[in-house]
Amino acid sequence: MRVTQSLNQTQFLSALDTLESNLSQTQNQVSSGLNFTTPSQDPIAAGAVNNYDQALAQSQQYTANGNSAQTGLQTENTALSQLQNQLQSLRSLALEANSGTQTGEDLTAIAEQATQIQNSLLTLANTQDGNGQYIFSGFASQTQPFSLTATGASYAGDQGQNQIQIAPGQTLASGDNGDVVFNQIKTGNGTFTVTANAGNTGSGILGATTVTGTAGYSGKTYSINFTAPNAYQVLDSLGNVVTSGAYTSGQTISFGGAQVTLTGQPATGDSFSVAPSGNQSLFTTVQNLITAIQSGASSTSAVPALNNAVTTALNNIDQAISQTSTVQASVGGRLNTITTQQSVQTSQQTQLQQSISSLQSLDYASAITSLDSQNTTLSAAMQAYTLTQGLSLFKYIS
Amino acid sequence: MSDVFGISISALQAYQTALAVTSNNIANANTPGYDRESVDLTAAVPQSNGTAPIGAGVQVASITRAFSQLSANQLNTSQSSLGQLNSLQTYTSQIDNIVGTSAGGLSTALQNYYNAWSTVANDPTSTAARQALLSQAQSVASAFSSTNTQLQGLSTSINQGIQGDVTQINSIGTSIAALNQQIVTATANAGGQPPNDLIDQRDELVSNLSQLVGISTTTDSTGAVNVFVGNGQPLVLNDQATALTTVGNQFDASQLEVASSANPSVSISSQITGGDLGGLLASRTQAVDPAINQLGQIAIALNQSANAQQNAGMDLSGNLGANMFSVAGPQATASSNNSDNTTAAASITNVGALTANNYLLSYQGGAYSLTNAATGSAVAFTGNGTAGNPITADGLSIVLSGTPASGDQFLIQPTAQAAGSFAVALTGTTQIAAAGAIQTSVGGTNTGSATISSGSVVDAANPNLLNTATIQFTSPTTYSVNGAGSFAYTSGSNISQYGWQVQISGTPATGDTFTVQSNAGGTGDNRNALASANLQTQGVLSGGTVSVNGAVSALITGIGSQAQQINTAQTAQTAVNSQALQSVQSVSGVNLDEEAANLLQWQQAYQASAQALSIANGTFTFFMDSINGTYS
Repeated sequence: MRVTQSLNQTQFLSALDTLESNLSQTQNQVSSGLNFTTPSQDPIAAGAVNNYDQALAQSQQYTANGNSAQTGLQTENTALSQLQNQLQSLRSLALEANSGTQTGEDLTAIAEQATQIQNSLLTLANTQDGNGQYIFSGFASQTQPFSLTATGASYAGDQGQNQIQIAPGQTLASGDNGDVVFNQIKTGNGTFTVTANAGNTGSGILGATTVTGTAGYSGKTYSINFTAPNAYQVLDSLGNVVTSGAYTSGQTISFGGAQVTLTGQPATGDSFSVAPSGNQSLFTTVQNLITAIQSGASSTSAVPALNNAVTTALNNIDQAISQTSTVQASVGGRLNTITTQQSVQTSQQTQLQQSISSLQSLDYASAITSLDSQNTTLSAAMQAYTLTQGLSLFKYIS
Repeated sequence: MSDVFGISISALQAYQTALAVTSNNIANANTPGYDRESVDLTAAVPQSNGTAPIGAGVQVASITRAFSQLSANQLNTSQSSLGQLNSLQTYTSQIDNIVGTSAGGLSTALQNYYNAWSTVANDPTSTAARQALLSQAQSVASAFSSTNTQLQGLSTSINQGIQGDVTQINSIGTSIAALNQQIVTATANAGGQPPNDLIDQRDELVSNLSQLVGISTTTDSTGAVNVFVGNGQPLVLNDQATALTTVGNQFDASQLEVASSANPSVSISSQITGGDLGGLLASRTQAVDPAINQLGQIAIALNQSANAQQNAGMDLSGNLGANMFSVAGPQATASSNNSDNTTAAASITNVGALTANNYLLSYQGGAYSLTNAATGSAVAFTGNGTAGNPITADGLSIVLSGTPASGDQFLIQPTAQAAGSFAVALTGTTQIAAAGAIQTSVGGTNTGSATISSGSVVDAANPNLLNTATIQFTSPTTYSVNGAGSFAYTSGSNISQYGWQVQISGTPATGDTFTVQSNAGGTGDNRNALASANLQTQGVLSGGTVSVNGAVSALITGIGSQAQQINTAQTAQTAVNSQALQSVQSVSGVNLDEEAANLLQWQQAYQASAQALSIANGTFTFFMDSINGTYS
């Protein structure tokens, strides 16, 4: 094959181009530390890195979300702990009022203390977070949820509950609304409630109530009527006699899955009504208690009425304590979930970073090796060119 | 004696010519297109004088150039392919750089945008978080628009390239035609001897032309070469050149197409392959336009998903959320060749079915046909183009203003305008719909244990959506809505009314009520912000299987693969071309060592002939001296 000098020249130049551009690419890799800087250098990896990048950013956002939820839940937890303390104090006051040894002045002082607790409860119910948002008003976070009224408190919030995303497909509530914490509190023992008729003249006082039988409480309303001080009848809502019997103080009366213990001496015509538990605002309970203690203080003859009202209030306070504990337990559970999930996210982030790095980061050892070999090739090509260029027959023609 | 003189002189003349040819070879060793020449020596016809014929010396029969038509044709074909790939590579690698590993910053902007939604969800009333979201949305819009602008810039540069190539092709065509004429004349004048240098020049021009555009050539009996482009479109016929010209695309006058000046209104772009011009046309249809369309498809997907979520939520002022983004819809253009004024309008009916293709709608013989504009393959459709029964295909709906004339064509570009027009539509932070549109509540006097879900919006356009609705249980197993109807209750199943959907679970009691109402005032609600943040991984395209970011990844991989493939093809073609060049050079190239050897050969032959002449002269002198007696 004939080889011509100009072809030699062209081919050497084009080889030089290729070699130098390869060398420059390797050099770029080494100086940027990246395996590829444009998608064409590794299209599949470039697409994958984009996906991993997104997953990483998302995971980091989940961590941030968790931190934000944690702050909110801790604020709520603190408020709930204080609420629990206030409820315990209120319970002690109610027991004190119920001891039967209090004078009118004592009762007035107790009512005064209960009023102070009522104000503390209101402050707690209107707790604001660091951003000035009310934590117990549901979605209406810029509206003060609770205001006192003559019979308790009105609720201006809603039943909304925000969720925070802490992992793919996993959200958790970042708070609880005031309706759940303060308003939706069951009355009585949580299943049914017994109230003394306001017109009772005897000294019959409500005692413990329990649900009996495997079928549980029937869910109907009943009334326990005293036909004589030592005889009672239990009527259903239609006026039918469900059961009847003789009464002595401390008597347990059972009907429709409910068991009611009464003490003291009711008068003929006294009655106690039994109904399924409804919801009652904590503030209504507190207001009722204060009203009862205040009226107890002003009338010494109304001891049984005071006792019955306080017993009802105590039952309701116990329900509130139990509700608060439930919410608090749920908040604690959520805080635990966040902690667990954050460590999951952290390890996932590490993994994603490793994946990205394994695709995108340069393997320096191999890059330096190829840099070296490309360098050698280039200088060998240059040397070969200068050597062959020196060859010419014309040199020998004299 | 005269024989020796004659023979020697013929030899001296022949070797002088040979030395001149060799010198000319050496002089043109680096001249592009020069073909090595050689002298063809033949023995002169002997003259018989009755005895055995004695040779009459040597003569130059012709000077021929070393040329292989096969090799030259191979080189031209290879150069056309290489030219096309070089030009394609210029554009694919530019797109590769523009899109880069983060889709022109789009991918980072999208991540930040979705994370900003999460931040709003964490603190829905924070103006700072909302402002950050608007800024991130703006970054997304900027990423779309700047990437689109850069891609459009490539389109402009392709137009300029086509213009330049056409000018150059025409100038070369004219030169070839002129050389054809000179060659024919010179051949006749030289008694049939070929004018090698003119032919070299012309062949070099043909070779240059093959780098600009794919050509085919024929040589006729007079020695003139005819050059054709495309499907036999004549560029040079003998001494006549037919110029190429540019013409605006029938659907988009701003895009230049190639036409023959013999029929300047008809584009022959689709027939042109090879060379820089073929590469430019291919870059437009295979690289730049698809990239713009794909980017637009992503813009439409994002627009659709973000707006739908925003519409389902409630802003800080208690209004249903307005659109987050705005984007231009599909473009339907009538061909400038259409014979009537029928117009077409296209709209998107299903983003999930939308593709990044362009479509060609043709009306011929009373029937429509829809084809993929790039591949020409038929696309299935339904409908007849009327408003009541639009032509529907691939998530598009096309309505025509009337019945077109037969032969009319319309180009439908569903996504081409989207990326460039993508913009943030919201103007204020209060317009961000972080809250859900509705809220639900459990009646305060409920005695049952049933709970109600927070509810979702399924039809934001329902006029009753925000009106308060009460679900009342008329028995533990039946309920009415706003006092009407009696529906069977199943715990946890969907209850849908007035554009919302809720679930009630648990055991309700007779008389229990649940309320669904407007969430106005629920400024701390983050449900919609949460849902918006979650759109990041939600499928929108390809029937709801590919998320916005998934489409970005696919774009990056697609662009990268294309650039990589063209790079590989270009490297391979460079090697092929180098082979072809080698094969041409091995026949036609000048090897200086060979010429040096030839020089010595001719020099020696010349010297020997001169010696023969000198000996003839000596012999003759000796003979004369003998006669004159000077020799004793």
